This record gives sequence, structure tokens and C-alpha cells, in this order.
Amino acid sequence: MNKKILVIDDDPAVLEYLTTIFEDNGYTTCSAKDAFEGLEVAKREKPDLITLDLEMPGDWGPRFYRKMSEDQTLKNTPVVVISGLSGHKYAINKAVATLSKPFNTDELLQIVAENII
Amino acid sequence: MDDRVLFIEEDENIAAELSTWIAGQQFRIQTACSFKTAAPHLNGNHTDIVIADPYTPGGDGHLLLKRFKADNPTKPLIIVTAPENTETAMTAFKATVVEYLNKPINTLALDIALQHARQRLALNHKIDSYTQKLEDLHYAQNLYQQLFDEVPCYISVQDRNFRLTAMNRLFKRDFGNEAGAYCYKIYKHRDTPCPKCPVAKTFEDGRRHQTEEVVTSKHGKQYNVLTWTAPLRNDDDEITQVMEMATNITEVRRLQDHLTSLGLMLGSMSHGVKGMLTALDGGIYQLETGIRKKDNGRIELGFHRIQQSSARIRKMVLEILFYAKSRGMQHEATDVAELAEAVADAVKPMADNNGHTLVVDIASDAGNFEADTNWIQQSIVNFLENAVDACTDDTEKNNHRIGFRVYPQGEEMIVFDISDNGIGMDEETRQKMFTLFFSSKGSKGTGLGLFISNHIIRQHGGRIDVTSEYGKGTQVKISLPRFRTAESSIARPLLDGSN
Repeated sequence: MNKKILVIDDDPAVLEYLTTIFEDNGYTTCSAKDAFEGLEVAKREKPDLITLDLEMPGDWGPRFYRKMSEDQTLKNTPVVVISGLSGHKYAINKAVATLSKPFNTDELLQIVAENII
Repeated sequence: MDDRVLFIEEDENIAAELSTWIAGQQFRIQTACSFKTAAPHLNGNHTDIVIADPYTPGGDGHLLLKRFKADNPTKPLIIVTAPENTETAMTAFKATVVEYLNKPINTLALDIALQHARQRLALNHKIDSYTQKLEDLHYAQNLYQQLFDEVPCYISVQDRNFRLTAMNRLFKRDFGNEAGAYCYKIYKHRDTPCPKCPVAKTFEDGRRHQTEEVVTSKHGKQYNVLTWTAPLRNDDDEITQVMEMATNITEVRRLQDHLTSLGLMLGSMSHGVKGMLTALDGGIYQLETGIRKKDNGRIELGFHRIQQSSARIRKMVLEILFYAKSRGMQHEATDVAELAEAVADAVKPMADNNGHTLVVDIASDAGNFEADTNWIQQSIVNFLENAVDACTDDTEKNNHRIGFRVYPQGEEMIVFDISDNGIGMDEETRQKMFTLFFSSKGSKGTGLGLFISNHIIRQHGGRIDVTSEYGKGTQVKISLPRFRTAESSIARPLLDGSN
């Protein structure tokens, strides 16, 4: 069965971009446009990896990460931060990798391949 | 220094005898036996006291002595004549002479006369020096008063109860001329002393204190001021009053705010720009992989995404360019209907793409108005685009309609009325909608669009009335004057407080 990736980003264009890349490379995807929805989808879909934008309306990426870590079934899911914020390396220290926008597609795919459970 | 005496006497024996005696009284003596020989010495530079018989030959004694007195009113003159001439001399010289002595000269009388002359000289010296000092003092006082008045700061002197005892001109101009009023009342319109008052601290410790305050002038204007206090002491070294000097730094703060906002903007921009570039990458990726896979649907999607992203980037760059520069408006006579149609044409595709109806109603008697066409157009497009976004964001209703009405109001005004039945705004959003960097659109908005639009409308002397209800829709009424107002052609910084 294909590995599943949850993409969380509030910009629909970026969301579409990421899901297309992953699907083109043999992953199944699910997506969410904010942290609240992201948590619901994560609980329901049990993804193998999550990409997370840091600055979104409603709830911030870091808070999503904290809530996710409190959930036993989700806390070991690897998270890749993809953000336009500077200084994001320190925002979520347990993230397996951080990429800044605009990102390199090959680099992203390599990171995902290395970290997906 | 010994006073210099000029002794004019025809009889050389008398002259010689008396001059020896006079020299013994601590005078420097010069004798002349005629007015002709006396003439070179008969002036204030060479002589302090003159003893003379006006009837001495060799010139008009009366004339020469009178001229000397006229030129040197403070130099004493002693007249010595034969008794029969004394009265004539008295009539001629009157009170300008210290003493009238009769010949033959009595040395005792001469001694008294010389002492009088010497006292008169000393007195005159004193008066001269006091007069000079008074003049200096007057000059200094004038200078200090001028300095006090002309210093480009607000200066006030206060007593222990914070009552104003002196104020300079600038202070009086902006805060009134009410001596005896309380500082806190005048500066802050308070009824009690301010907490952390620097004047109170200076009264306590005798040192200078600095604070930054916001004060309100008598015309209700707010100023940022930097205040310095200094103690004023009496002869016993006790602090009786404190001087407060306040420099108006409102302009500096305003500039600082502008720079801070620019910095803030660049920060928020950089995040937005990065997001947009990522979206652009997404479009390019779709296009690239679409071409490789020969998937026309994907090629079209990619192209569409690239279009959208470049439009977003373009808009943001234009906004940054506007913000970075304060500009005057380039007014030109503009056909209202023509401008309104151009605006409607610009927004129509966006409304159609999202499945909303744009209803345009332009009054036939709209006529002309004076405006900077470019910016007014951009500003109205901005409001219309927001109306489209508000409809797109609303998932509750099925049919969305955006109304765009343009009509004249009275002789003077043109109204652009933009209404939608989109998602609407809550009170908080409505209040903040023109605030810099406020956006309800998440990473899609820059928080600049409405801020700039509002600024443009105001620079045209126009007004914006907004009514909105969350879930129901929004109505924006932009009223613009037909003719330019005096202030509208002046370039103003965006953050000049009138936004």
C-alpha cells in the first residue's frame, strides 16, 4: 500500500502543488488548510508523514505540533516543516527537517523518502 | 591715576608759583600763558580739569572754554578772573563751572575748588561705569529674554506645586499664556499631578531628569515631547523653582513610526512573497510535468496557476511601490462613466470566474470629475475585488451578487456604491479594515490594499462609509468631490495621522 502524506498549508495553490508532487511520486495524500482541520484529518487518516506550514490563520503550526505530540497515535509521525517564516528552524525542534519556501522539489522528495515510516 | 590739570594764566610768575603748589596736590599740571598755546591741550583727551581766566589773551577765551565744556560735559572747569569780570563770567558760563574764583588767587579757595573738581570727576567716573554696567545688564537681560523666547522648545518654570511661573513664547503659542496654572492641567489636561513627574524628582534630588511625554496643546493637538528638567536655586542654594524644557519630537516619532512600519512591512512581505513564489513554483511544476506527460488538462492548470501567482506578485509589488513613496495626486478632468466602466471591466472576469453576478449601474448624468485616474481606478478596483472575495468566502448562500452603482449626489459629489451579499464583517474586522497590515485573508492578503485605497480616497478629499453585517454582506459608499480640494494636490506621507 502507498505511504500517506498529510499536507497542511493555508494557501490552496501551495496545497495543490505539494499534493501533486507527492502523488506524482507514488504517495497518497490528504490535506488540510489550517491547524485545527489538520489535527482532525491526522487523527482520521493516520498519515505516515506530515508537512506543516508554520504561519496559518486560526492556529499556529507550533501549537498544532504540540497538540499532535499529545496524541499517542500521532506523536511519532515525522513532521517536515515547510515555511516562509525566517528563524523557523527553532520553532519546532523535533521536526525531522525544515524547508523554507520556495523549496527545491528534489530536496523535499529526498527528505520525505528518508524519513517516512 | 593723577588727574590732569590745564592752567591758563597770562602772568607767568603766578602760573609758575601756583603750578608748583597744584602739582604738590597730586595733579599733573600743564600751564599755558595764552589761549593760543592752550588750544592743543584744550580737549578731553589731554585734560581732565581746566583752570582758566577767560580774559587771557591769544584767542576768544569764552568761546574756546564753552566749546570745551560742550564737548566734555563731565570735565570740571574752574574760572579765575578779576573781581570786576566775575559777574560777566558767571552770566556766560552759569552752572557749567565748578567754582568761580577771584584774583588774586587764594590757595585755600583753589584747594577747595580742586577738591570739588576731583570729587566731581570721581563721581562722573562712577556714574559712567554704572551706566555702562546697566547698559550691559539691560543688553544681557534682553539677550536672555530673547534666548528664552526664541529657543525652539517649550520652556516653563514651575514652583513646588507645579504652578507655571514663566513660559517662553513657543509654550504660550501652543499651550496658552496662563501664568499660575498647573503644569499637569495645561500639558495633560489632568486634575492631579502626573505620576513619575520629572519636575517633582528634580525638586527632590536637585538633579536633571529626562522623560518622554505625550502632551495635548490648547488646540487639542497631541505632541510627543522629550522633556529635560533643571533646578533653579536661590542665593542660599535652595531649590525654589524647576525649569522644564520640552522638545517637540512629534515629527521624529512620526518618521520612526513610518520606518518601523516599513520594517514590519518588509517582514510580513517576505513571508507573503515566499508563499507566492512557492505557488508560482507549483504552477511551473504542473506545466512542466504536464508537458512531459502530454497531459493537456495539467498544462492548462499549470498555466492558470502561473497566471494567478504572477497577478498576486504583481499586485503586491505595486502596493510596496506605492507605500515606499509618498506622492502628490496628478489630477485631471475625468469622465466618471468612462472610469467606472473601466473599473467594472477589470473586475468582471474575476467575478465570472467565481460564479458571481456583477451588476453595474452607472447614472447617465454622472458627468466629469477631477481625480488622479490611475489611483482612483486602482482604489475602486480594490474595493470591488474585496467584494468578490467576500462572496467567494461565503459558503452559506448559493447566489452571489455584487452591485456597482455610480451616481451624482447634489452638485458637488460623485458616489461609487459597492455592495455584496458575501460573508460580511464583524464589528472588529470592520473597525480594523483600513489599518495597516490588517488582513482577514490570511497569507493571501498583505494588509496594504485597503490602507492605501483609503489613503487615496482621503487625499482626493473623499470619504468612505462602510456598513456590514457578518453573514449578510457589505456596502461600501465612496463619495468623491467633483472638484479637487486645496489639500489634495499636496504629497503627504501615508502615516500622517489623518488616515
